Amino acid sequence: MRNKKLVDYGKFGYIFSIPFILAFLVFSLYPILYTFIIGFTDLKGLTATEIHILWNEPFKNFVTVLKANLFKKAFTNTVVIWILNFIPQMGLALLLTAWFTDRRSKVKGQGIFKILFYMPNIITAATVAILFTQIFGYPSGPVNTTLIKWGLSAKGVDFLLTPGRVKGVVAFIQFWQWYGYTMVMLISGVIGINPEIFEAADLDGANRVQTFFLITLPCIRTIMLYVLVTSLIGGLNMFDIPALYAQDHGDSGGYTVNMYIKDQAFAGAYRYNIAAAASVIMFIIIVLLSLVLFYIMRDKDEAKLKKLKKQQLKLAKSKKAY
Amino acid sequence: MKKVIASLLSVAMIAAMAGCKTQTTQSSGAVETKPGETKPAETTAAPAETTTSETTIKESYGEGPVHINMWSFTNEVPNMAKKYISLNPDFGKKYTIDVTIIATTNQTYQPALDAALKNGEVDMYAAEAAFVLKYTKGDGADFAAAYKDLGIDVDKAIKDAQIAQYTVDIGTRGDGNLVALGYQATGGAMIYRASIAKEVFGSDDAAVVEKEVGGGSGNYDTFWKAAEKLKAKGYPIISGDGDLWHMVENSSSSGWIVDGKLNIAPERQAFFDYSKQLVDKGWCNETTDWQPSWFADMKGVSQEGKDNKPAFCFFGPAWLINYTLAPNCGGEKAGEGTYGDWRVCKAPAGFFWGGTWVLASKSAAENADKKAGVAELINWITLDASDKGLQYMWANGTFNGEGGTKDCVASGKVMETADGKLDFLGGQNMFPAFIAANANATGKNMTQFDEAINGLFREQVNQYAHGQKSVEDAIKTFKSNVADKLGVES
Amino acid sequence: MAKTQSLHKESVGLKVVIYIVCIILSILSLMPFVIMFVNSTRSTYEIQQSAISLYSAHPIQNLMKNWKVFNGKSFDPATGFVNSLIVSTCTTCLAVYFSCLTSYALYAYEWKLRDAFFGLIVGVMMIPGTITMIGFYQAAYKVGMTNKLSLLILPAIASPNMVFFMRQYLQASLSMEIVDSARIDGAGEFMTFNRIVFPLMKPAIATQCIFTFVGSWNNLFVPSILLTKRNKYTLPIEVSLLNGDIYKTEYGSIYLGLSLTVLPLLIVYAILSRYIVEGVALGGVKS
Repeated sequence: MRNKKLVDYGKFGYIFSIPFILAFLVFSLYPILYTFIIGFTDLKGLTATEIHILWNEPFKNFVTVLKANLFKKAFTNTVVIWILNFIPQMGLALLLTAWFTDRRSKVKGQGIFKILFYMPNIITAATVAILFTQIFGYPSGPVNTTLIKWGLSAKGVDFLLTPGRVKGVVAFIQFWQWYGYTMVMLISGVIGINPEIFEAADLDGANRVQTFFLITLPCIRTIMLYVLVTSLIGGLNMFDIPALYAQDHGDSGGYTVNMYIKDQAFAGAYRYNIAAAASVIMFIIIVLLSLVLFYIMRDKDEAKLKKLKKQQLKLAKSKKAY
Repeated sequence: MKKVIASLLSVAMIAAMAGCKTQTTQSSGAVETKPGETKPAETTAAPAETTTSETTIKESYGEGPVHINMWSFTNEVPNMAKKYISLNPDFGKKYTIDVTIIATTNQTYQPALDAALKNGEVDMYAAEAAFVLKYTKGDGADFAAAYKDLGIDVDKAIKDAQIAQYTVDIGTRGDGNLVALGYQATGGAMIYRASIAKEVFGSDDAAVVEKEVGGGSGNYDTFWKAAEKLKAKGYPIISGDGDLWHMVENSSSSGWIVDGKLNIAPERQAFFDYSKQLVDKGWCNETTDWQPSWFADMKGVSQEGKDNKPAFCFFGPAWLINYTLAPNCGGEKAGEGTYGDWRVCKAPAGFFWGGTWVLASKSAAENADKKAGVAELINWITLDASDKGLQYMWANGTFNGEGGTKDCVASGKVMETADGKLDFLGGQNMFPAFIAANANATGKNMTQFDEAINGLFREQVNQYAHGQKSVEDAIKTFKSNVADKLGVES
Repeated sequence: MAKTQSLHKESVGLKVVIYIVCIILSILSLMPFVIMFVNSTRSTYEIQQSAISLYSAHPIQNLMKNWKVFNGKSFDPATGFVNSLIVSTCTTCLAVYFSCLTSYALYAYEWKLRDAFFGLIVGVMMIPGTITMIGFYQAAYKVGMTNKLSLLILPAIASPNMVFFMRQYLQASLSMEIVDSARIDGAGEFMTFNRIVFPLMKPAIATQCIFTFVGSWNNLFVPSILLTKRNKYTLPIEVSLLNGDIYKTEYGSIYLGLSLTVLPLLIVYAILSRYIVEGVALGGVKS
């Protein structure tokens, strides 16, 4: 029993990670490796099973993808739609967070509001797409009927006609589905802030706006990073809503990279190799962008703290050894 | 409190589900749509009336020692197997049909079927017009067994039953062997409003209207003249350009791909102008298939919040009448809504729309036990023109007992004797118009890429028709999109 | 005096703005649910003529008819419900428990490969889902694992997103002193986690339960490819069959199916929503 204190706890880190690693190896790593390898082969066609690696031009598929106008368009679309949805989403979520976490004046009924705002996230994408197709329907639909009634448009607006409108509607749907989730996350971050910091700010006579921008925002940086990174990853992988709402409309205005990938594999040509190469390219882009985000928003103090902690631990260990 | 309510609710729901489980039900009103998709018309099979009424879940029919694996995307073909066993109990003693149904939505049927075919786990399978080419001429053609390898004397049977030629063309593989046949015929005709015809052309008689719109002429010159006449009285000739597309697509002289390269047939090229003038001259209501404004034209009313006049006609096969027009006409007997105000005549060009084909797998043909059973079923469904065959019941609406929905079938011999009188058409016999349509339909120009290419083409046509682009730009984008998406260069 | 009054006015003005914005957003949030429920009491014909409407000519009659259509298909809603419940519950439990365990390993222990492992988890989060799934299906078919609910459940053990979240939560909320005192009491590491740490993570677990349960319950794509036998269907597959049953798509019964699908989610959400209301403390360690 006595010996327990001398146990090297580090090994439990390994032991506790085993289930995750096993599940990951079995259910994720195989398909991932499979994808990477296929990106360098000529695997296409429904019945193809044999894989030939393109030794002469290993990057042929990657060049094909990068040269394709449709891929470039899809990439631009994906980024634009993500930005169009993320900025208002973050803005609204921050605003609601500021309102709901204000310690001086409580918003009555905020519990029910929080519950309601998250609800668009519960419905399946298919249902959401059906509903919005109807709502923005042309030549007749609730939005167009209203526009005509108010004299804002004579004939109604075909929301699926131009690339800009298609992007706008898709971004709006994404925004509507996710701002509640983002708000919940941000509020969690604010709750995690030590109340003493706010009390100190109060004593210094900071007003609401100052407190929010100078105390709250910097303190929830880690959470914002989490939201930003997960939203970026989700946004660049966007598929359901644009595929169900905007496929073959608006001059490819709502065509996303994941739609491109899926079309390569399934739309009739079974170009698994191209689909795989496009996935790998997207993976690299996402990793690079995430690294940039991590770097910009890195917590310098925490890095220092970590170093300090490590030193202390070493010190403690060496003490134990004696 | 919240918890109490919540658990009560869930208990109530489970009870409701379990309680009603044993009810036998008959569903009426068949309506054909896919709300989630923006372009469902492209993936539409010809429907048929089936009323499933099961008290228990059954995954297999029959109790014989030999198991036949059947895959389908609806319960239509499985129900036929079930019917066959009920008519021929001996068959059920020899075979058991194990059924797998996967809906086509989200394109889940094909990947699953492909994987199962690779593993040799499928004996019989169904494919619909949107993707049948993949399994008869495209990448999946090698999975299929030739009908003659099942022991069916195909050539003679086709001749005897007078099977519509286009369904044979579609079901014939590159090596000349027939691997698939349908049971329906989905040749399309023009379905028009009698009252509007009377007002504009002075008569609602099919022969008169057919002449006015150039029915069977193979071109659209007369049709556009009729459009002008109709517009003079305020009526758009059709609902949206999608209604015209099936006809243009399926009557063109060449397909999307010729010698491995993208090809735009002159008839399809002309669709740019058709679509543009439909919009510019107000000859259509600018609707999209399967959307509320499209259905409003079937009911014969203005769109919500507008005062437009309803469209004059639709183009489609018999199933469009049975399952789309009739349930949306706003009534159930003559005088209500547009019920009884519709007539059928030849369309300007021949075409077909939808349909289901039945295939057998190579592995089934190589299995001595299964082969005979699969052949017997396929023969009964696709080639038996006797009054005991499936198609006879199908055409006369007796598959589920008397008084069912009448539908066109592939066998010309069956059609000759069947009666297609419908109250919905004011007592007109619809079959003559559709038999002519079946003969004019051609299945020679289809490719497995059609679904994808059609989508890209219609998108660019729409851009041009609504003044977003010039024809040259639209075609350029179209070609580049096809090359990038499917690897088909032009 | 004047100053306080203007301050008061300002805050009243702000309050009004807050409530107006919140009420508009609430209506936008509730709208699809209301439309879904109302449409399940409308006939297919009514819906096709006007999809977004609060009017139904014969609500009860139509509801009964829609239910009959839904129930008259060759599948069994009760089985679908049970299958969905099994998959979603097991997925949620496995994902939550093992994510907590993994995040605890990442937070509480110093080990050589820790940072590398964390990097791996973040990396996995970034992989585009579409194509990896294709490999997954092909493997599943190769080893004959189709029609096994367990294949939908087990991958949840490795949920990188949740591990990331839980680690974030532990950083904000778990003090190592608690762990140390448990160790002094002689508790084993595994027991410490199960008895002390895991219960402490309840608020974060509740939030993640909602996210995971919703995701798993609504999942259509993976189950519809892996499950081909009718007695294995989940509820969303059954609803999609209504949708894809080409010649007989009944809008009314689809909306009824969708409503039934969403009801259990609303119940789970109602039970766990107090954690959304109260919020979960997250963040980097600062105290």
